[in-house]
Amino acid sequence: MMSGSPIQDSAVVTHDAPASIYVARSLAGALDALGEYGTAGAPFAGGTWIMRSPIRHQPLKTHYVAIGRLPELTAVRISSDAIEIGATITHAALAAALAGLPEFAGLAAAAGHSANPAIRAMATIGGNLATSEFAAADCVPALLCLDADVEISDRRGREHLSLTDFLKIRSTLAPGRLVTRIILPRTERKTAHVRLPLRRAGDYPVAIVSLSVSLDATSRVQAARIAVGSVEATARRWPRLEAALLGRPLDATAVARTATELTDEFVGRDSVDAPAWYRVSVLPGLVRRAAIAALGS
Amino acid sequence: MSDVSATMDLRRRDAADKLRGRTRYTIDRYLPGMLHAAVLRATVPSGRIVRLDTSRAARIPGVRAIVTATDAPGMIGIGIADHPLFARDVIRYDGEPLAAVAAVTLAQAQAALAAIEVEIEPLPAILTMADALAPDATLVHPDWRSYEVLLEGGARGGNVAWEATVVRGDVDAAFARPDVEIVESCFRVGRQNHVAFEPRAVVASYEDGRFHIETSTQVPWSIRNATARLLGVPASQVRVTVPPVGGGFGLKFDLAVEPFAALLARASGRPVRLVNSREEEMLTCLFRENADIRIRSAVTREGDIVGREAVVLMDCGAYGGEQIFLTTMTAHTLGGNYKLENVRMVSRAVYTNTTPNGAFRCCNGVYNTFALERHTDEIASRIGMDPLAFRRRNVLGDKDLGATGQVFESNVLGPMLDRMDTLRDATTLPPARSDGRLHGRATTVGTWFVFVGPSAATVNMNADGTVTLVTSGVEIGSGSMMQSLPQIVASTLGIAPEHVIVRAADTDAAGYDVGVGGGRTTVSLGAASLSAAQEVRTKLLKVAADMIEAAPDDLVMRDGRIEIAGAPGSGRTVAEVATRAQTVGGPVSGTGAFTGAGVPAMPGCVAGHFIDAIDIPVFAVHDCEVAVDPETGHVEVLSYRVVQDVGRALNPRAIHGQIQGGVVQGLGYALHEEVTIGDNGRVCQNGFETYRVPLALDVVPVEINLYEGAPSIGPLGTKGAGEVPILNVGAAVACAVANATGKRVQALPLTPPRVLELLLDRKPELTLPHIADKWADNLIRPH
Amino acid sequence: MGFSLTVNGDRLSCAADPATPLVDILREEMHLTGAKPVCREGFCGACMVLVDGEPTPSCLVPAALADGREIHTVEGLAPHGALNRIQTALEASDAVQCGMCFPGMVVSLTHLLTARPDASRDDIRAALTGNICRCTGYERIVEATLLALATR
Ligand SMILES: Cc1cc2nc3c(=O)[nH]c(=O)nc-3n(C[C@H](O)[C@H](O)[C@H](O)COP(=O)(O)OP(=O)(O)OC[C@H]3O[C@@H](n4cnc5c(N)ncnc54)[C@H](O)[C@@H]3O)c2cc1C
Ligand code: FES
Ligand code: FES
Repeated sequence: MMSGSPIQDSAVVTHDAPASIYVARSLAGALDALGEYGTAGAPFAGGTWIMRSPIRHQPLKTHYVAIGRLPELTAVRISSDAIEIGATITHAALAAALAGLPEFAGLAAAAGHSANPAIRAMATIGGNLATSEFAAADCVPALLCLDADVEISDRRGREHLSLTDFLKIRSTLAPGRLVTRIILPRTERKTAHVRLPLRRAGDYPVAIVSLSVSLDATSRVQAARIAVGSVEATARRWPRLEAALLGRPLDATAVARTATELTDEFVGRDSVDAPAWYRVSVLPGLVRRAAIAALGS
Repeated sequence: MSDVSATMDLRRRDAADKLRGRTRYTIDRYLPGMLHAAVLRATVPSGRIVRLDTSRAARIPGVRAIVTATDAPGMIGIGIADHPLFARDVIRYDGEPLAAVAAVTLAQAQAALAAIEVEIEPLPAILTMADALAPDATLVHPDWRSYEVLLEGGARGGNVAWEATVVRGDVDAAFARPDVEIVESCFRVGRQNHVAFEPRAVVASYEDGRFHIETSTQVPWSIRNATARLLGVPASQVRVTVPPVGGGFGLKFDLAVEPFAALLARASGRPVRLVNSREEEMLTCLFRENADIRIRSAVTREGDIVGREAVVLMDCGAYGGEQIFLTTMTAHTLGGNYKLENVRMVSRAVYTNTTPNGAFRCCNGVYNTFALERHTDEIASRIGMDPLAFRRRNVLGDKDLGATGQVFESNVLGPMLDRMDTLRDATTLPPARSDGRLHGRATTVGTWFVFVGPSAATVNMNADGTVTLVTSGVEIGSGSMMQSLPQIVASTLGIAPEHVIVRAADTDAAGYDVGVGGGRTTVSLGAASLSAAQEVRTKLLKVAADMIEAAPDDLVMRDGRIEIAGAPGSGRTVAEVATRAQTVGGPVSGTGAFTGAGVPAMPGCVAGHFIDAIDIPVFAVHDCEVAVDPETGHVEVLSYRVVQDVGRALNPRAIHGQIQGGVVQGLGYALHEEVTIGDNGRVCQNGFETYRVPLALDVVPVEINLYEGAPSIGPLGTKGAGEVPILNVGAAVACAVANATGKRVQALPLTPPRVLELLLDRKPELTLPHIADKWADNLIRPH
Repeated sequence: MGFSLTVNGDRLSCAADPATPLVDILREEMHLTGAKPVCREGFCGACMVLVDGEPTPSCLVPAALADGREIHTVEGLAPHGALNRIQTALEASDAVQCGMCFPGMVVSLTHLLTARPDASRDDIRAALTGNICRCTGYERIVEATLLALATR
């Protein structure tokens, strides 16, 4: 026996508990409120994920703390050895801030080509990293190959951890903790971000390859980072392929060939959009394109 | 009978308000005291209702009415009445309505839905046509024999809701000839969602013992009649009016939410608004049906088709609906394009425990054209003939016989193919690309028709020189009601089209009409409007003749005046004559009516058909060039060309707009728009994230050539032009992709995963084991 | 709890739940039915309004975050019932069919005309990624935008 239930998602007046949304005026105020609410609360950044809860048939939280307009979190600070990105900077603003920095071409492409223009002006980088159910997030693989560190804050203070480690803990991030900044070291490198939507634009990518390489004086690969997004539930690096590039010139065709041999380490995810095998099959082609784009950058 | 041309580039009178956000569609109507309604829907595809208790829900604050199956005793359908409004005891699809609630706020109505206690015993579900046709399949409608038959003639049985056949000549003998090649092809297509931007929506009220239904529909009269039948009230108690409709495409060619709101309005005594959520639209839309098709041809080495047979299975979902009617269309679409001597085709609507399918722009034609044209390319390749040469040799020409033995008039497709050559050769070929993609091109032909059928119109002459055109026509976006109809009336009366007031549809004001769809607005409503306007013209000329002291035959109507031919400035204004006429004989008006001519088929060759032959054939030639990415399976359409048979183009600019829009919808069907049904019987694509319609970056400007002059019984020689542009897009893209890749394209849509699957030979070729090898074994009733 | 927003220059207060999408407030409380809730997911753009001058899908903005903001809907883009530059061009190009997407199209394109006066055909197409039209096949909309840019 089972019971009927409505297929309904219309106006969001349907949420069971009337949510409160506290618009924080300062970071400290936001952290206090989040600490106060505990598991009943969550940050509200761009809202482009949260406001779609009804279509996912997920209940809203009882309390949200709006952090989108905190000056502490919307800045990009660029120094000679690092750049610091505030967590609520939008995709559009990040792409604009990185425009003059070729070493961040990959991240700029990720932030500048995700979603659609209006969404890019709303969705935040922190929201992109923090949404653990969102496998297709563009910025995650792009940041993974830039050795990003994530700063997490709560009422008691802040800590830094690598993005890789953050991805491991993000689904169990304690209530009251907030991603506040993303820190990227600066080195000379060539980067690229290749996303594969099913239409030419506007879709979630079904597979992403982000790449970052440093070349030595003889144009051989000195260091390589390759991250794969959307293929599995969480984006991750591709260490065997990275290792295979070292010490050789970056040759797109050769890299793609190597990638073909190494794709078996990915177990794709099946979803309504695309079958698992497809996401894995396209990887060598995306690697090739990423290499070409990086060399051109 | 008119003195000025009806051809003009008239702009749409509704554009400015639509651009300012002022137009009030049904979803924008909020009445004082209005209640909000919501529908409880089943969440299993098949089951028995053990208990449905609304008593707790009725106590939720704000709830004003709850209705269930006992409130709607009737059954509706096309051909057979198999469809109740609410599931009664048995649930046949996921999403089937169980109850409806009206409350002061939508949130209250939804809270009440959640409080309805339902116990359902799940039953095994038939989710595919293969399962439905298996020898011992469970029946979706165990009581199918007891249903009222509304049209005699279709064979029925088991899970086959309706079967239509055409048999002509000696197909066995043709296939047995020693000099022929036998080519067999199998195809499968999925469903397509209309994604009309305005969901199905209604505001209903109940006043003075009558229902007033304001709804977003293409078929006000069908809504009137079907609602009455379901509710068990006389149809005269239902009035339907239609605000501007925010997209139809066939979705709104059938009843949807109207009876729920009507019942709730009667029960509560208040106006009731019911609007489908987007998710409801995605999951329970009356999709273009999925279909399985096998076609075999016997062809000589010289390229003559001497025999053809086909089996088409169309999934009607849980109830017969439109698919029953559409079984008719196979003879005219899959049996179209080419002259045929010996032919047999069966087209079967098959019940499954899935959401019912419906009508969608060029229903049935889109996939049968895909199948026919791919099959044609496979034939050409088998006999080593150029596919265009093969088409030229075989396309229907003057006095050729179509599948049902109807005699086609005039050479149309042949000259249209020539026209396409000119169009194609005029554009310089794109420079050879070295981007590693596979390039391909194809030219395909298609046959569609105008769904004529009854229409009525009244033209009231106003003393100020304007006229009011009263019909049951609906403006669904195509512009026919804003452009061709006023143009026809204006040219007949020699007045400015702006002076033709077009009354919005109201079944209390205008006569019966089949509805807006099937390319029939300009033709059927146009013909009725034309004869109504001609009656007014005759009456006015008589009065004017007295006033001017001239013979009516010597008078012309132009520029808002009635004057002696060749003597501009003589005579009187139309307003003066109308005023005079009103004084001497009362206000002037005219009425007009139209229905199909009934072109004959060959006697005895069709069974189970609603239409034996097509009154107004419409032909289309499409040409498309694609590039296929071998790494990802992405198909890019590089160019697209259309030569379309329009009879006569009254508003060429408007037709161009329809063609661009229709082709793009076809590109969605061909490339992006996929509907799949999960093991739970539910459609998997529940919103815009997973159901992909073309975006601005996915499309190309279509090069268009309008072919005028083909015979038509339409007014002023017109044919419908808004429906057909989608007809052969799937075919053209599929043939081009097959040519680019050298692979056998057997299915649509060609999403990147499906194309890559083809390129990598990941899947065996499609076979259709549920279609019996011997054609006759597929029939319930021998033909 | 209540919010106050400025809509098309009028200061208005609203009593909706804080998470109520702006599109519902505009339509149901303020009777501005121009913005259409078509997908409620940020994909279609039919609900687009300007929030502090930026094109924003109003289905994704909760009431609490519309508080104190300056909102312009399609109804408020041209004064006194006239048509603005893009509306004029769209009308002249016979671009409109069912019309449901146009309130959002007009908002996005009105912004584009000032923000990207040099936009090319491909820029316009890319800019429309979040504005879907089911009827027209986009061509006339792109043409009209080029026309509007040219008649600056
Ligand atoms: C139509 C559409 C298309 C899209 N396409 C893409 C795409 O192609 N690629 C892509 O990458 N993205 C895309 N997105 C955006 C993506 O889906 C997410 O919506 C977005 O990344 C979330 O960011 P947000 O700021 O809106 O988060 P919100 O909706 O505000 O929050 C999302 C989640 O993250 C939490 N959260 C937010 N900020 C923080 C923080 N600083 N610390 C801790 N937790 C936090 C929230 O509590 C919530 O659980 C698309 C969105 C839409 C609407
Ligand atoms: S309804 Fe807001 S973007 Fe579609
Ligand atoms: S005109 Fe109908 S959606 Fe654009």
